[in-house]
Amino acid sequence: MNAPFYKFDLFGFDVSLIIAFVIGIGFGFALERGGFGSARILAAQFYFTNMRVLKVMFTAIVTAMIGVFYLSYIGYLDLSLIYISDTYIIPQVVGGFILGMGFIIGGYCPGTSFVAFSTGKKDAIVFILGVTFGVFIFAELYPFIEDFYYSTNMGRVTLPDFFGLSYGMVVFLVILMALGAFAAAEWGERVMAKKGESK
Amino acid sequence: MKNYIMNLSGSKKLAMVGLILGLVAVLLGNPYDNTFAKVNVKELSVEAIRDSEIINVKELAEWIIEGRVDYRLVDLRDEEAYKNYFIPTAVNIPTSKLLESNLMRNQKILLYCEDNIKAAQGWFILKANNYKGVYILNGGVESWKDEILFPSISANASPEEKIEFDKMVEVSKFFGGSPQVGETEGSKEIKMPKIEMPAAIPMNTSGGKPKREGC
Repeated sequence: MNAPFYKFDLFGFDVSLIIAFVIGIGFGFALERGGFGSARILAAQFYFTNMRVLKVMFTAIVTAMIGVFYLSYIGYLDLSLIYISDTYIIPQVVGGFILGMGFIIGGYCPGTSFVAFSTGKKDAIVFILGVTFGVFIFAELYPFIEDFYYSTNMGRVTLPDFFGLSYGMVVFLVILMALGAFAAAEWGERVMAKKGESK
Repeated sequence: MKNYIMNLSGSKKLAMVGLILGLVAVLLGNPYDNTFAKVNVKELSVEAIRDSEIINVKELAEWIIEGRVDYRLVDLRDEEAYKNYFIPTAVNIPTSKLLESNLMRNQKILLYCEDNIKAAQGWFILKANNYKGVYILNGGVESWKDEILFPSISANASPEEKIEFDKMVEVSKFFGGSPQVGETEGSKEIKMPKIEMPAAIPMNTSGGKPKREGC
């Protein structure tokens, strides 16, 4: 048996949509259980008073990375078939800034807004309307920004290629980075909590 | 030491596991390393007996004429031979460079060479590296020349053979060949067609339409 299953035609496009739906439900559930259904927790990340977003995200990254690395090492997963989108460095940095601004203002990112809405949060529905409106504006403006959108294409870039390191080394370094970030986050939260008390 | 580990909180234990897996990963290095491969000999021998992975030149000619793009045609010969003539839509990947190429494990790959032996070597290399759909063009370039470019018919052929031959003449012309009638073998020098693509065929370098992906 070889993964990715879809690429090896274990199932067709229709079934893949059903599987995506099931995974999506699971993903939403995990986000909600991780506390990502609350705009307060999400926005607090940007003020460094609650580092939960960083911890959850880094945990997810490290877990997936270890899984993918070892599965491909024992030959279950063909890494080269995993889809990696091209890197368009400047447009993606600009896009990241816009998304970040919306994140701080609205308190959600697109995925978490749906999670929050499913738990009945009213601000989430406003946020979703905003997302929809934004998508509409983007689509209308697309002809004018298409050149920029596809500029500075670096192709398919991965960290091992970029730094010329082995995959195992990158896995190790990212784990170190995550553990360091967890320790720093715990420490930072204690400091911020003390500050809060002294005020 | 044991007590120390037992007294750690759950998340710290997980962090330790992560760290250990990371350290092991450094030693393992690269999952892409394809110098050594493990081969399922039984599976390969069954496939070899069944001949299911052999495509003959007439089939290929039909695929090219139909403009099918769900496979990649790979020329395993050296660059010089490839430049001299290649079967339309083929890309040149010498056997030694097969594993460094951009062939994908989920693609249908059709290999050809001068003859079957070289192609079979390439087939084995790819199969051993877990490529799923690898096929061999039966007879390679030689068969392509004999059956597609320069099909011949003896002067005293039966009517059925003639009907069949007339069809082949059309195919042959499509690929720029010249059908031979009667005893012409060796009497005049056979000229290879120029490797210009018949205009109707799209160049198949992408390996077909990629599946929808991304988010």
